[in-house]
Amino acid sequence: MSETTEPDARTAAAATDSDRAVLRTDGVTKRFGGLTAVDDVDVEVQKGEIVGLIGPNGAGKSTLFNCITGTLSADEGRVYLQGQDVTDWPEYKIARAGLGRMFQETRIFGDMTVRKNLLLAAQEGGANVGSLLRRPDDTLIERTEELLDYVDLGGLAETRAGRLSFGQQKLIEFAMELMAEPDLLLMDEPAGGINPSMLENLIEYIRTANEDEEATIFLIEHNMDFVMEIADRIYVLAHGERIAEGTPEEIQNDQRVLNAYLGRE
Amino acid sequence: MSTSESEDSTGLLRTVLPPNQVDRVFDFCGENGWKLLALGAVVGALPPLLGLEQGYYMTVVSEMYLFAILALSWDLVGGQTGYPSFGNMAFFGLGAYVTAILVKDFAVAFPVALIAAGLLALLFAALIGAVVLRLRGHYFAIATLGVLLAAQQISRNLDITGGASGKILLQVPSGTVFYYLFFGVLIAEMALIYYLSNTRFGFILNAIRDDEEKATAMGFNTTYYKTAAWMLAALFTGVAGGTYSLFNTFIDPQTAYNGAWNVELIAMALLGGSGTVAGPVIGAFGLHTLIEFVETAFVGWQLVLLGGAVIVTVIGFPEGVVGTLREYASEMAYYERGGMAAVDSGEDTEVTADE
Amino acid sequence: MAVTQFVVNGLLVGALFAAVAVGFALIWGVVDIINLAHGEMVMLGGYTSYWVLSLITGNAEGSPALFLVTVPAAIGVLYVVGYALQRTLVSRVIGTDIFLTLLVTFGISIAIQQLAIQAWSANPRSIQVSFADPSLVAAGLVIPKMKLIAFVGAILLTVALYVFLQRTRTGRAIRAVSQNPEAAALVGIDVEHTRAVTFGVSSAIAGGVGAFIATILNIQPQMGLIYTLKSFVIVVFGGVGSIPGALVGGLLLGSVEELTAGFVSSQWTLAVSFTLLIVLLVVKPNGLFGEGAEQ
Repeated sequence: MSETTEPDARTAAAATDSDRAVLRTDGVTKRFGGLTAVDDVDVEVQKGEIVGLIGPNGAGKSTLFNCITGTLSADEGRVYLQGQDVTDWPEYKIARAGLGRMFQETRIFGDMTVRKNLLLAAQEGGANVGSLLRRPDDTLIERTEELLDYVDLGGLAETRAGRLSFGQQKLIEFAMELMAEPDLLLMDEPAGGINPSMLENLIEYIRTANEDEEATIFLIEHNMDFVMEIADRIYVLAHGERIAEGTPEEIQNDQRVLNAYLGRE
Repeated sequence: MSTSESEDSTGLLRTVLPPNQVDRVFDFCGENGWKLLALGAVVGALPPLLGLEQGYYMTVVSEMYLFAILALSWDLVGGQTGYPSFGNMAFFGLGAYVTAILVKDFAVAFPVALIAAGLLALLFAALIGAVVLRLRGHYFAIATLGVLLAAQQISRNLDITGGASGKILLQVPSGTVFYYLFFGVLIAEMALIYYLSNTRFGFILNAIRDDEEKATAMGFNTTYYKTAAWMLAALFTGVAGGTYSLFNTFIDPQTAYNGAWNVELIAMALLGGSGTVAGPVIGAFGLHTLIEFVETAFVGWQLVLLGGAVIVTVIGFPEGVVGTLREYASEMAYYERGGMAAVDSGEDTEVTADE
Repeated sequence: MAVTQFVVNGLLVGALFAAVAVGFALIWGVVDIINLAHGEMVMLGGYTSYWVLSLITGNAEGSPALFLVTVPAAIGVLYVVGYALQRTLVSRVIGTDIFLTLLVTFGISIAIQQLAIQAWSANPRSIQVSFADPSLVAAGLVIPKMKLIAFVGAILLTVALYVFLQRTRTGRAIRAVSQNPEAAALVGIDVEHTRAVTFGVSSAIAGGVGAFIATILNIQPQMGLIYTLKSFVIVVFGGVGSIPGALVGGLLLGSVEELTAGFVSSQWTLAVSFTLLIVLLVVKPNGLFGEGAEQ
């Protein structure tokens, strides 16, 4: 394991472990006026893991996500992606560094065809002018076919994405992330608003992506069955603070978690 | 206008022109875009060669090309990127004045002056873009309108622009030169935008239009791309303005920074179908012909008609000709191409409406 | 001394700008539309007053009292125009793309403007109000009586709107729709009607101001867009939905314009206000930069 130069002396002890971490936050704090939405939160996601983030409404889960992606800037604390301090980077640059994100309300480009949505997501070539001005090559187009077949939306490549149902759009958004192959994928309530049978499929797709393509996933979820089934580890937030961390079994038996959900302090 | 018509006669329309036929036409156009463009270029180049050199109709056709350039440039930012500018005519006016001043006061050759006009418009767009492209929605629209009116006022007060009385240009090339100039710029612009619309750059512009925040979250520095589109639009608009000043032999603040024209070219893009290459051009040809007709038949009423046309278009026909046809063509395609199969497993049978 | 005189001139005219802007802001806040035809309401108000006065006196001249009689006429006519525009045209695009709403109101603006040219020609006109002694002089400052009357009129219209919104049942309904149209509908408010009333009231005030403008400046069919733009400057400055903010913004804009006219040249006043608009949009960060840039 290479010793990446980390100027922060405090982290030196945990260097090996931290450097392997795809994502690490160190004391991230975000305040809105007098309200501390995220309070000194440390999380860590290792390569190949599926990590869940749960907590009652208003616990600060989405705010933590926004601080990680750079949509919001944290008031205190640092965010490291692949060992690199990305805290003050602009949002687009963090994304380009390997962070993918699926939104709670599902966001795709409605007036573009499904295929263009996927082609756009491919990160190949990045922002260099040459690749911007070339037409997408055949390998990329084949890859879009492959991924669309994979999520059972094979025939819809030329359909306007906005015409699809909510569940289908969710799958397209997921396929876009597979196309992009981010080092870490943040998913905000992937199970929200889709019907049970589609949820079954989604679990399977996420699993396969995790096992076959080594996708690393950090997800917010309210659907407990879903998160307990899919996550390797879970963090629990309440009132902006991290109150528990552990395997699904540990979390299910944790008194503090139960209290937080039942509203006891 | 055409709304009630298309709604009432859908049944008849379906038999005469079934959606899949229209779909096939779109596929054909999609596959043969370059050939169609080349064909258009040849047809458009013919009239002067066939002896139709001067006169009223050649002037009208030249103006059609001019408006097509303006509408297409507007659409690159307004339709493709989703930043509807009410100030594009600022680039037009700048180009017109730069050309007029260089040619008349500095005796610069017309082609050189034209290039200078395009480049200055580009530079101006970069500066203004840094400011206005940070704004969205209402604020962007009004700020661009403010830029247009400020530019108009400034040219009205400066000596070099000839103040409110403007500049008269007497030594100008023949009508055929302008015909080919407008036509050449139009074809070049169509080719460029058509090409770009199938590249990653074009996809990113559309992505910014559909959801800029998502595009940012996917790693695109959207400022960079929308500024590039804005500058490109300014370049073509500036060159068109430069050509127009000599074509018209006269330029003043009112004609150069014409707010009504700005609305007119938006209406053209919208009427034809914004966000496409053919749409703004079709819209420009159609609306300009109509306005030209009204101008001849009922002098002075063309702008009343323009206002009316804009209202009718927006209320009844916001997708434009191309957009409406495309929607019509694809209404069955969703199911034919497996839309149903994909949702069989669930209950999401309804197609999400996007309006 | 010159500075004070310019500022006084500015404040006198600024109140008129403010009253126009208040209506513009009200439509923006309640109907969620930038009404690019708002300036045309000012223009139509000016012409209504002009023609009513001509009807009474045979030409557009008269005593102050006679002129003041024409103001309610302008207000009434423009209320109807505004109400009808919202009901027939604007209501059809509410809730669609912002850009479409802008385009529809721009289309209305052009159509009204051009019809006015056809009907009344493009020549500037003005109303002549006759006074025995046209100006007051106090502490070395010259205050034309008509400007003072216009100033008071504009302030009264603004205050009347404020009272109307705060104290009347309809005013409360308008505020409710502005805050949450769905909830307003649930408690039994006719949202469509309320929006049309908002449009009518805003246009009526603009019309009343237009009548005053006809006495101290010129009216002309194409004058509207400038007033729309000025309203936008003022609202951006004062904040959407704030009547006091609009009042301060209007007085300030008037002063800036008069100072420019006094120290530079009256030709530059418009260029200055449009540049001010762009600068304001850039430097005033709150609520201006793209929705959702901050959550």
